[in-house]
Amino acid sequence: MEERIYDLIFICRPDTPEEEIDKVINTLGHTAAEKGARFEKVDKWGVKKLAYNVKKLRQGAYVCITLRSGDGGLIHELERRLKVTDAVIKYQTIRLDEELKRQQKLGRRREVRAARRPRRSAPATAGEPGAAAVSTASQAAGK
Amino acid sequence: MADEITPQAPMPSEAPESGPETPASTPANASAGRPPSAGGGHGPGRHAGPRPAGGLKRGKRNYPRKKKVCRFCTDKVDLIDYKKADVLQSFVQDRGKILPRRITGTCAKHQRWLTVAIKRARNIALMPFATEM
Repeated sequence: MEERIYDLIFICRPDTPEEEIDKVINTLGHTAAEKGARFEKVDKWGVKKLAYNVKKLRQGAYVCITLRSGDGGLIHELERRLKVTDAVIKYQTIRLDEELKRQQKLGRRREVRAARRPRRSAPATAGEPGAAAVSTASQAAGK
Repeated sequence: MADEITPQAPMPSEAPESGPETPASTPANASAGRPPSAGGGHGPGRHAGPRPAGGLKRGKRNYPRKKKVCRFCTDKVDLIDYKKADVLQSFVQDRGKILPRRITGTCAKHQRWLTVAIKRARNIALMPFATEM
């Protein structure tokens, strides 16, 4: 299976000591490593105000992990671990790779279009008829 | 607020069949044109309510408007990040409701992405489902 990119966010109780949060991250990292996945980025946002009360708490310490994995079962395992950890009050995993792919595709298309624009002003130089058809299509899409 | 919504609500479902005949018929002869269409399923009385009100409103609004432009399109955004709650915050009401496209001017594509992003942000307590007052 091709690799997928996930965003895993979890919220700890605001009074959790820093070491304990690191411990949680480490255990998750070990579980991921066993299944051949790796953490690309670990972001600790610190204690933030929650938009609504979670388990009667108004604040929480956010941790955001971006991971790359080819095994969907890993997510299940990580979430199970977060669920049984007392310090964690909320978690969410989101699959990102499809959106990132779309972003890259749209970015590439934008580049191609930007490169084509000067050619449209001088149509005599356009050799292939296919390119001209595509440029008119993009013109229509632009409107 | 509530009395504004009720006359508009039945319009989308009735529009396809009542739409073609209303421009031709003025309110005076509308009753004459209705009996054949009454067999279509809806009660004849239901058309009479919303139509004149909608027409009046449209007449009042007959002035040129400044066209709203999608903010994400002008910034060339290809991915709306649910983690940037401050950006998303400008697309919800004070109560936390997602604002419709006709108010913010967001294009259809970006509105689709935006709603997903807002819902994700809500789920992880970055944004409220509804603010308590």
